[in-house]
Amino acid sequence: MKHLKQLFMLFILCCSLVIPSTALAATNASSSSSSSSAVSSSSSNQAATDDSLQKIKQKGTLVVGMSADYPPYEFTTKKNGKTEYVGFEVDLAKQFAKDLGVKLVIKNMDFDSLLVALETGKIDTIISGMNVTNERKKSVDFSNTYYSGNSYFLINKADHDRFKKATDFKGKTVGAQNGTLQSTMIDKSMPGVKNKGLAKLSNLVIGLQSHKVDAVLMDEATAKAYAANNSNLVTFNSKLPSTAGDIAMAFPKGDKSLEAAANKTIKQVNDEDLINKQWIPQASKYMKSYKKQNTVLSYWRYFAKGVEYTLIITIVSVICGFILGTLFALMRLSKNKLLHSLAVCYIEFLRGTPMIVQIMFVYFGIGAVIQSMPALVAGIIAVSLNSGAYVAEIIRSGIQSIPVGQTEAARSLGMSKQTTFQEVIMPQALKNIWPALGNELITLLKDSSLVSVIGVSELMYQTQLVQSATYKGVLPLFITMLIYFVLTFTLSRILLHFERKMKHAH
Amino acid sequence: MPTKMIEVKNLQKKFKNNVVLKEITEHVDQGQVICVIGPSGAGKSTFLRCLNALEQPSSGQVLFEGQNLVGLDDKQLDQIRQKMGMVFQGFNLFPSMTVLKNIMIAPIKVKKTSAEDAKQTAMKLLAKVGLANKANQYPDQLSGGQKQRVAIARALAMDPAVMLFDEPTSALDPEMVEEVLKVMRDLADSGMTMVVVTHEMGFAKEVADQIWFMADGYIQETGQPDDFFDHPTSPRAQEFLKKILK
Repeated sequence: MKHLKQLFMLFILCCSLVIPSTALAATNASSSSSSSSAVSSSSSNQAATDDSLQKIKQKGTLVVGMSADYPPYEFTTKKNGKTEYVGFEVDLAKQFAKDLGVKLVIKNMDFDSLLVALETGKIDTIISGMNVTNERKKSVDFSNTYYSGNSYFLINKADHDRFKKATDFKGKTVGAQNGTLQSTMIDKSMPGVKNKGLAKLSNLVIGLQSHKVDAVLMDEATAKAYAANNSNLVTFNSKLPSTAGDIAMAFPKGDKSLEAAANKTIKQVNDEDLINKQWIPQASKYMKSYKKQNTVLSYWRYFAKGVEYTLIITIVSVICGFILGTLFALMRLSKNKLLHSLAVCYIEFLRGTPMIVQIMFVYFGIGAVIQSMPALVAGIIAVSLNSGAYVAEIIRSGIQSIPVGQTEAARSLGMSKQTTFQEVIMPQALKNIWPALGNELITLLKDSSLVSVIGVSELMYQTQLVQSATYKGVLPLFITMLIYFVLTFTLSRILLHFERKMKHAH
Repeated sequence: MPTKMIEVKNLQKKFKNNVVLKEITEHVDQGQVICVIGPSGAGKSTFLRCLNALEQPSSGQVLFEGQNLVGLDDKQLDQIRQKMGMVFQGFNLFPSMTVLKNIMIAPIKVKKTSAEDAKQTAMKLLAKVGLANKANQYPDQLSGGQKQRVAIARALAMDPAVMLFDEPTSALDPEMVEEVLKVMRDLADSGMTMVVVTHEMGFAKEVADQIWFMADGYIQETGQPDDFFDHPTSPRAQEFLKKILK
């Protein structure tokens, strides 16, 4: 009991140490911009005194966050086997970067991660069909509007007679992308309708085609694009009262000078009506052009790249996880109370929280302190830490399975603790825990797919790209499943081979 | 005056509230063979394990060649343990290594002996215990008696000044006891200092220079084997001998 209490206290202590420091770091990170906002808001007549614009020009890149599964706004296409972002917002971003005289970098991520990424300084601005709402205004600043459209329902053609207006969906399920205006509209203006939210619009459309949802509510341009590209789908105006259909760029609070520069670009674009006259027609062409050569298999390079990254994450994480695991297993077995408690806290905490949360915490939380940390590194860190906790327990059980007589025999021969561990205990323990370690390795390979949430281009992420590029949902998933299976099956055969070899050595 | 190899002064050992060794003061001379006998639970094994500090005494001193082992750090103990070979009841061979590797590992890793020299010594020792033909087998391919002989060879490979035996034949089938005792007898004949905890009264009587009789956490009586077995003086020893000789 007493032990438990101590442990608990230590845990609280750790938490209270970790949380304020990361929170502090997070506010520090955003304060680089918010400190300037304090200045500009206190002297409101001087709007553009902050250094946000200068900073962009200094670093020479404009990092734009977008959720690139949203044709014709932004989506991916293939040019000479390479992924390229296209769509009218991509053109707008290009124009903006060009006006600033800097290089454009596009970060593709889930729509509902965009705001967090902006607040933590991962991106400089959001250009992603983001509607201006009062809630969002609390956390970000918006530029002037560059596009506005109504919200449309996308439905299956077969349902055309059943659904003609918004009220026809009573008791049905309507989907919308998480965090979008349309998702709020379903909740507020469509009573009696079940709202099905997903992070990816492309997955919702797949859900529509497999009748998981009866309709998907999205903005006009996107809905029309889907309908134009798929003869089984039709779209119609929802005519729902919307609080705002205005789309604008989002900036961190206080980045007034950058915002002013954006408004300049937007004014020019609006004056020439570039979006409607030039960019949307151009985007539609891309959509049509890859409709012809749009077989899933022609995207094999996507899968190959995904496998490459999946293997990189797995291999590096396995090695780091094993080192961490050994370390924490020894700490947990240590007679030193502090080391022991630290190890218990680490193991229990990492095993007691979902990996997907850990991945996002490392990327957004720790990433706020170390801004330059790439998603791949964040992903590897998170997966290694997680795996380390499980491996620690496996190794601990392995060490404890070795009779104490082995240690006594070694020590009585004059071997040091370390030599005993390396030469006598670990080789035997490894043999005993080999199957369990193998399981962990296979689990890790599969769990690496979770890293897709922070935009690492591993297999699962690439699959989603293929899905949204081909407008096909099930086939890419099936191919990915096969690839994962081939990988894990090969791995388990290799592990079995070594397991047998170790047995033969007996 | 022979030199004292091991000296024990006012040794006490407690496990929590259980006092296993109450008060022991004794010494072992160089070249002496001591057999420690007594009923189960007397504290014989604990006593032996205090001699090379596998158990830390609760109070008192254990001196090896004049140096007190109590309070030494791990590194200093590693040094001393090299000179104190130990053979266990359960053999404790390393199952993942061949017989040869079992014997070679400590000289190579601790004394930094070259693999070649270590192998030569190991083969010599294996020949001595009559197992040269088993060098490349694994422990679980051996019988109990063979395993214990390998364990003795393994301890000898470090060229120890004293050998501690903790009931080396207790886990053996009766027909294998003799092959192990023979090796130990040869060792005693060669002049090795030995402390043997044993239930083999015949061996004790024949090989020991001195018998230490332990019961209830004390060494109750010490003496020449003939004196002890024929005329035990303490009541506990008389009782014990009556029971086992019946």
